[in-house]
Amino acid sequence: MAENEYVIEMLHITKKFPGIIANDDITLQLKKGEIHALLGENGAGKSTLMSVLFGLYQPEEGIIKKNGEVVKINSPNDATALHIGMVHQHFKLVDVFTVLDNIILGAEDTKLGFLQKKTAREKVEQLSKKYGLYVDLDAKVENITVGMQQRTEILKMLYRDNEILIFDEPTAVLTPQEIDELMVIMKNLAAEGKSILFISHKLNEIMAVADRVTVLRKGKYIGTVNTKDTNKQELSNMMVGRPVQLQVVKDEAKPGEVVLKLENFSVPSEIHKGNAVKNVSFDVRRGEILCIAGIDGNGQTEFIHGLSGLSKSSGKIILCGEDISGYSIRRRGKNMSHIPEDRHKHGLILDFTLEENLVLQRFRESPFQKGGFIDRAEVRKYAERLIEQYDVRSGQGPITQARSMSGGNQQKAIIARELDRNKDLVVAVQPTRGLDVGAIEYIHSQLVQERDEGKGILLVSLELDEVLSLSDRILVMYEGEIVGEFLSKDVTAQELGLYMSGAKRMGELEMEKVEEAELKAAENTEKGGNEDA
Amino acid sequence: MPKTDKNGLMKSEKQSSKTLLASLISILIGLIFGAITVWIVGSLSPDISAKDTGDGVKLILMGLFSTGRSGGALTFGFNPVNFGNMLFRATPIILTGLSIAVANQTGLFNIGASGQYLVGTCASLYIALSIPSDKVHPVLIWLIAFAVSMVAGALWGAIPGMLKAFLNINEVIACIMCNWIAANIVTWIFDASNLKNTAEGTKTAYIYKTTYNNVATSKMGLDKIFPGSQVNGGIIIAILICIAMWVVMSKTTFGYQLKACGANRYAAKYAGIADKRNIILSMAIAGALSSAAGALYYLAGNTEFYWSTYQSLPAAGFSGIAVALLAVNNPIGVIFAGSFMSMLTVCGTQLTYLTPFNEYITDVIIAVIVYISAFSLIIKMLLNRKKEKEYDKRDGGELKTDKETPAKAERKEA
Repeated sequence: MAENEYVIEMLHITKKFPGIIANDDITLQLKKGEIHALLGENGAGKSTLMSVLFGLYQPEEGIIKKNGEVVKINSPNDATALHIGMVHQHFKLVDVFTVLDNIILGAEDTKLGFLQKKTAREKVEQLSKKYGLYVDLDAKVENITVGMQQRTEILKMLYRDNEILIFDEPTAVLTPQEIDELMVIMKNLAAEGKSILFISHKLNEIMAVADRVTVLRKGKYIGTVNTKDTNKQELSNMMVGRPVQLQVVKDEAKPGEVVLKLENFSVPSEIHKGNAVKNVSFDVRRGEILCIAGIDGNGQTEFIHGLSGLSKSSGKIILCGEDISGYSIRRRGKNMSHIPEDRHKHGLILDFTLEENLVLQRFRESPFQKGGFIDRAEVRKYAERLIEQYDVRSGQGPITQARSMSGGNQQKAIIARELDRNKDLVVAVQPTRGLDVGAIEYIHSQLVQERDEGKGILLVSLELDEVLSLSDRILVMYEGEIVGEFLSKDVTAQELGLYMSGAKRMGELEMEKVEEAELKAAENTEKGGNEDA
Repeated sequence: MPKTDKNGLMKSEKQSSKTLLASLISILIGLIFGAITVWIVGSLSPDISAKDTGDGVKLILMGLFSTGRSGGALTFGFNPVNFGNMLFRATPIILTGLSIAVANQTGLFNIGASGQYLVGTCASLYIALSIPSDKVHPVLIWLIAFAVSMVAGALWGAIPGMLKAFLNINEVIACIMCNWIAANIVTWIFDASNLKNTAEGTKTAYIYKTTYNNVATSKMGLDKIFPGSQVNGGIIIAILICIAMWVVMSKTTFGYQLKACGANRYAAKYAGIADKRNIILSMAIAGALSSAAGALYYLAGNTEFYWSTYQSLPAAGFSGIAVALLAVNNPIGVIFAGSFMSMLTVCGTQLTYLTPFNEYITDVIIAVIVYISAFSLIIKMLLNRKKEKEYDKRDGGELKTDKETPAKAERKEA
């Protein structure tokens, strides 16, 4: 029978919460040995659906079948008994335990009350060999990389003989190399007969690894398609519900005068002694998006901290003709706005309301401040304007606690606050990290708009796609030094990768030529434009 | 967006009334627990009659209104002495409570209120007794003493603040150490001074009352409302300070900065707010408030200060923690929480006078209230956290906006 084709079927699942239908008549069928992606924006109901499968929620309607038989999953224990396992986005590991201890935790083999670690070790070693999951069994979790932590989580599932593996946004925390490794592992697992549910909103990964995709939108089932028969554009349209611009739309850059000039800029490391940023010099011009690309941990964080004034730096920072290197953070903000890397740590005060967050730098300015008092009515008016203009959605408008907002809207709030300050230089660090396609499209278009208004944009990004599609000029940072400079239209991802990993390096003269070329190109287009007119 | 506006307002009102309710419930449970304790102790002890037990329970609940006994039965009514004494004793713990509440609002735990209280006491007494009142007007001496004590307290409070800001030393540890340093310094200063009470030969290690130098807090007419009690204008000053702090914390840019640093030091710094300066200022303000508590208590004129304090710290500093907890760190709430705590003290005195019980029973009540209010905070925190989790699950942040409504309507139609 065809029924046996599916190892898990979730049929017509409806799950309601007060005021919202989180899952509305959703059907998901998982074949044995396939990788099935579950795609949807933040808040589409992916997590709710998986929580239903994992026994955390009980659906109002619908049934779950395993191998064609109806099953009732009332708790995670039931799910475990049915060999359903889940790797959560945030790992659930005990930091001070070893990898092996973490793997066997909760499923320990005992003899007369004594742990049988030897047999456990053999089983884990066998599994890790079989699926190519390299881990150091005796290392403590707190000392290993994020990628290895994830492999530990996967081994945990395999150790429990799980057949259905749920991966909840597994790539969000990984580096590009680790993502590639994970893709290989997932394919191995599927080849060995495991069935995988892969929750994601990253289209590249889904196209690379999944056999089929089920798309959800706002709690509704949109459809299931074979990845062979579809493409990224179609999937993103299904996910967002309207045609989405995957490519950033922008005209040629028209670089103008220099807005930020760095000379021999060095910043001490936050981890070791010595400098994390070494003698960096470059310009950011009006009307261009300059991107600093590089693999995480090559000095980008220190660079930004040094530029913003969070940490000490040496060398000159000339912003709008003024050397700001000795200035306080507040005085540096006079001509610079800033979208920070870590929106929870540096971007927002989560326990404050949205409106209080929106005036975080401006509360001293008129009209928000009158004689030392905060004019709440003005703050409210301002917040309402920004919320409207930048489409920041929240439960209660201006007085929503920042903590209760979704990640995308928190980021939109920061963008609204920073761009509305209307400064000559916009520094954006990883501005789209963890956001879904719709929000990314929006943020990219906002940055391009700022550029077209004649501002200088300094972008720091780890995602190559973003680097290539958004920026006009690219600097590659490797171990705190600028090792290459490119115009984004002239370079490929592979080429960039060579510089990012330190395999190639450009001379200074060569780099200077790139900026000249950009200026010349801009001049030419302008001339061309004039002639046409 | 008028709609969300209204919703929001309703929600925040609901939230604050919930908080008030939580405090009232913990008070009620504390009182009931105290009454039960009295009843159990009374029933089990062969020396205490059933009538005395009943009287004890009554005094626990209504001791403030006790007017003594007539013909063997307790009488109740308005008792100006009790009321006045309640206000007098409330004055210092309102201010230490305020000190701790303000520090808490800025993310700091000021357990150093006792030491700051001692510093304030020392500074105010020293000045009030050493400037001769035949040369300087006593009111001026009072004002100088009060002002100097607040400055001294601010400097003393700033020490743990600086340790935290510059060296990242936890303020709790620094505060506890500062407490004992203050106790020893104060003892040493008075040891070396000539302010020891030599007029009453039976008293050792006591300082002169400030009335010895004709300095005393003005009564501000309160002695006419509550005749026969110790009350003075200090309570009015304390209430005014509370109101002023409420305005500063919730209405000014200065308060906004302090709270921003407390809630997220890194984000505040990133936004160009001087985080180190604000941490030091928070602690300095807390220190000044605790010192004001000590000054107002001892400048009353009729209070005696036992200067050998190196063995124990004044209780006012720790009662302040209970007051702040009960008031949920609200500067206005502190006035009522402090008054309630001192009412319990008055009830305890009545208990000692009129029944075989002693005043320590009221400590049981305070302890229960502290536990319950701490619990209610924890429970509230847990509830919020649970809500947040649900929020995450369904990403509820986006649900209630006007823009979603058409989608919902669509869903219903379908």
